[in-house]
Amino acid sequence: MLAAEPVGRWLGAAGPESDIVVSCRVRLARNIADAPFVSMAKPTDQSRVVDTVRWAVQDAKLLEQGRFLDDEQLTEERGRFLLERHLVSPDFVSTKVRRGFYVASDESLSLMVNEEDHLRFQALVSGFDFALAYDTVARLDSLLDDQIGYAFSEQFGFLTACPSNLGTGMRASVLVHLPGLVLTREIEKVLRGAVHVGLLVRGLYGEGSDTKGYFFQISNQKTLGVSEAEIIETVSASCRQVIDYERKAREYLVENLRNEVEDKVFRSLAMLRSARILPSDEATNLLATVRFGVSMGIINELSLAQVSRLLILVRPENLQATLGEKLATPERDVRRAAFVRETLVN
Amino acid sequence: MKKCDICGKFEAQMKVRQVDKDGKQSEVEVCVECARQRGFSEAEKVKIHVAEVLSEMKQDVKDDDRKVLCPSCGMSYADFKRLGRLGCAQCYDSFRERLEPLVRRLHGAVQHVGKSTTTGRKHAQERMNRQRLTEELDQAIKNEDYEKAAAVRDQMRRLETNARG
Repeated sequence: MLAAEPVGRWLGAAGPESDIVVSCRVRLARNIADAPFVSMAKPTDQSRVVDTVRWAVQDAKLLEQGRFLDDEQLTEERGRFLLERHLVSPDFVSTKVRRGFYVASDESLSLMVNEEDHLRFQALVSGFDFALAYDTVARLDSLLDDQIGYAFSEQFGFLTACPSNLGTGMRASVLVHLPGLVLTREIEKVLRGAVHVGLLVRGLYGEGSDTKGYFFQISNQKTLGVSEAEIIETVSASCRQVIDYERKAREYLVENLRNEVEDKVFRSLAMLRSARILPSDEATNLLATVRFGVSMGIINELSLAQVSRLLILVRPENLQATLGEKLATPERDVRRAAFVRETLVN
Repeated sequence: MKKCDICGKFEAQMKVRQVDKDGKQSEVEVCVECARQRGFSEAEKVKIHVAEVLSEMKQDVKDDDRKVLCPSCGMSYADFKRLGRLGCAQCYDSFRERLEPLVRRLHGAVQHVGKSTTTGRKHAQERMNRQRLTEELDQAIKNEDYEKAAAVRDQMRRLETNARG
């Protein structure tokens, strides 16, 4: 979890519909009842919150399956490392507030202390499996609820720093891979369907990112006035539609443009096998195309899990952790190319 | 959430400013479908609803807002509008009148229907009581009020027995 290998369990592509749905995530936001929220918390308040959560995590016996990090252990490099692995947000990495962090060994569960709220924890699972994701995070919620007094009101539900997260405090999101819809130019139309029902659609690394490698994130915006089950059903229903459209687009491509698809996919694989200089973004785009090839059964010598693992390990901090060296960009791009070539040989 | 001004069915995602032939300006909030049907420029980026509501709020700080304070954390409503974040749980009571319409705009609702918390509050209450009593005990000893100290200690013992039982 804190070393590059093994990568998180959710990358194993063992979940349902993994060829299209990379992962499901359920995140809950909570605050401690008798402490100022993050924006008004003095350093002593911030530390007190971290201590309270660390004790709660310990008493709930969670340290047997994971690790807790203090603010001092959350260096910039480590923050970026965790961000690349989808375990923390950009805000958490850049904030000046005293933080804490817990992560389970298989990375299925992680918890940020003092990001926007005192506690923000998430479950991350492979494929289209909200039941598992929700179950996992709800269990953590109960364990912590037993130890900590959450800020809660009958009217507004779980009280969050920003009113946009009130009520359930829950964000359910799904990460989908849609090369079919992008290549058939139908992506806008399909994603608008999600936007129509009030969902949020974003690129791979969440807020503010562009759509790298045909990956998209669909999540709910509304958290109050709906139950946890309703939120999941809304996101799931939209996801089911998107999966359907993507499958049809892929079928169309294979029936009508097979040569073009194969050409694109095999060129990407060839590039990965022979490049000597490989910047991170280019690696991501090439791997995403290869992922498409693997999920279509066009490329058979690689598995989805292998591609998913590489997609994480080519990122800057993860690459450096894998190689055990700090590297500046020009050198890093050369070493990334070598790492990818070596990995694809086996 | 705000419904489209034209069809009234779907969520309004875009704000379109129209100027009629007399130069009069008007604004409509429309859903993506109605925008498309009327040929409103697709170059107009589809704004994400929540982010838009919050950024509007930031531009709209009134003098009155500076005067409304939360007694628990000291935050003013103006501070909240600028930051987009509240200071403590009590802020929701302190600023209730102003927050309710905002919450309705964000979620289309003002009543929580999901799951609740109960256990944690009981433990937290117990912890707070124990803390308060410890402070009282320390104070009584400092003041050499040993009768009081004994009474407080008895109370603490009673609490512990109840908690265990």
